[in-house]
Amino acid sequence: MFGLGDLNLTYLVSITVVSLYVSTVAVLLSAAIGLPVALTVGFRDFRGKSIVTSIISTGMGFPSVVVGLVVLLMLSRSGPLGELELLFTPEAMIISQTILALPVLVSVSLSAVQSVPQDLRDAAFATGGTSVDVALLVVREARYGIVTALLAAYGRAISEVGSVLIVGGNIVFSDSTSFTRTLTTAITVEARKGNIETGIALGAILLALVLTVNALGARFRDRNSAGGNR
Amino acid sequence: MSETHHTADTQSPSGESRQLTRLAACNLSHGFGDGVVLEDISLAVEPGEILAIVGPSGTGKTTLLRLLAMFEPPDRGTVEVDGEDVWALSDDQRLALRRRIGMGFQTRSLFSASVSDNVAYGLRVRQSWGERLRSAIENVVGRRDPAPSVERALETVGMADKMHRDARSLSAGEAQRVAIARALAPDPDVLLLDEPTSNLDPRNTAAIESAMREARSHGIAVALATHDMQQAQRVSDRTAVLLDGTCIESGPTDRIFENPADDRVRRFIEGKLVY
Repeated sequence: MFGLGDLNLTYLVSITVVSLYVSTVAVLLSAAIGLPVALTVGFRDFRGKSIVTSIISTGMGFPSVVVGLVVLLMLSRSGPLGELELLFTPEAMIISQTILALPVLVSVSLSAVQSVPQDLRDAAFATGGTSVDVALLVVREARYGIVTALLAAYGRAISEVGSVLIVGGNIVFSDSTSFTRTLTTAITVEARKGNIETGIALGAILLALVLTVNALGARFRDRNSAGGNR
Repeated sequence: MSETHHTADTQSPSGESRQLTRLAACNLSHGFGDGVVLEDISLAVEPGEILAIVGPSGTGKTTLLRLLAMFEPPDRGTVEVDGEDVWALSDDQRLALRRRIGMGFQTRSLFSASVSDNVAYGLRVRQSWGERLRSAIENVVGRRDPAPSVERALETVGMADKMHRDARSLSAGEAQRVAIARALAPDPDVLLLDEPTSNLDPRNTAAIESAMREARSHGIAVALATHDMQQAQRVSDRTAVLLDGTCIESGPTDRIFENPADDRVRRFIEGKLVY
């Protein structure tokens, strides 16, 4: 049996905070970029639309280590964004997680936006709505799907290992507080060191976070879909 | 029997004086891709009248109403509000004209919200962003009462008692009545209705026809697209008959039904013109 009494609380808490911070900011950034993209693609008919949606869907399968490698090259001292000196910082991890979460968020929310019947958009327009009003109505009607998109993006971000390991460097200070170590990268390190009990505790925290976020999403969906169809 | 003699007052249901509005299609032609849907249509709906636009399914009634509602510009011809070509105006000017027109659709078109929220939609989009924010906050803290015009519009269609119901829980007929209340709540000068009673039971049909008559009594110009000839005869003052995308005859409803000038109209009315 493993004893949990020797676990370093400071270590666990700081890693959890870094994970939450990086994933939450990445998902917020993805939403800020991705929702307008989903609305624009969902609303407009243009040449090559099916190609654009295919590219977005393909993005969901991006290998995270490849994304990490590309971000590493961009942020490295000799890279185009080297002057920003972001490599091996939480901000670099946010960039890579945003890139990974973005296609998931766009793809799922695009599907939600496109599922809003044209009749509702027409009704909003014919009742005096501007294009902004119609877009807001579509977001409101697609809210369950958009929440699902946020949850999926959050799941992709918080469970990510490869790219954050490459661009974050998995750094912990000498006082055991994390700088760029996340729950996932910590689990790989602790497992490799044979600290199974710490790994299990980190895994439990990660699962609890994912479950909490999904439970909040499910609660939102249930509360808002109480009306039902007759 | 249609009602050809009526007096339209110029007051809105709220008691304010109404701007009488004439909405006209002038030599309208429109198509999709290579197909021509409407060909050289000219007709107008006048204040305080119900104009029935009748014709078989697929003859262009919906396209005509959508052009009148300014969803898109026609390929040729003009849509005019009180003689003004709406597509020659700026976006803001056209939006102002659009907001004097309400529209009801054939299909279920209610939003996922309460009945009163649906009906208040047209009022909300006419508010400034500051007013909308205040309304949203009041809604969250539960202090917002429905606007009087929302209640009036729901009373007009006999749905005031279901104001707080979730719109998704309504039957098809109830949903259609609420959709018409939503079009009426901002107090439009023109009401466009696209097959509003198709597949509805007699009770809901009667409620909607009653709402049309009440709108007419307040000086609203009502255009009703329908393939229900009996309904056109029951409620409309004038009838325009569309066949194959062209308006082949229009005039007072009694005259159209009793003594049509065009033989195709006669056969259509008699149910002999099959498409």
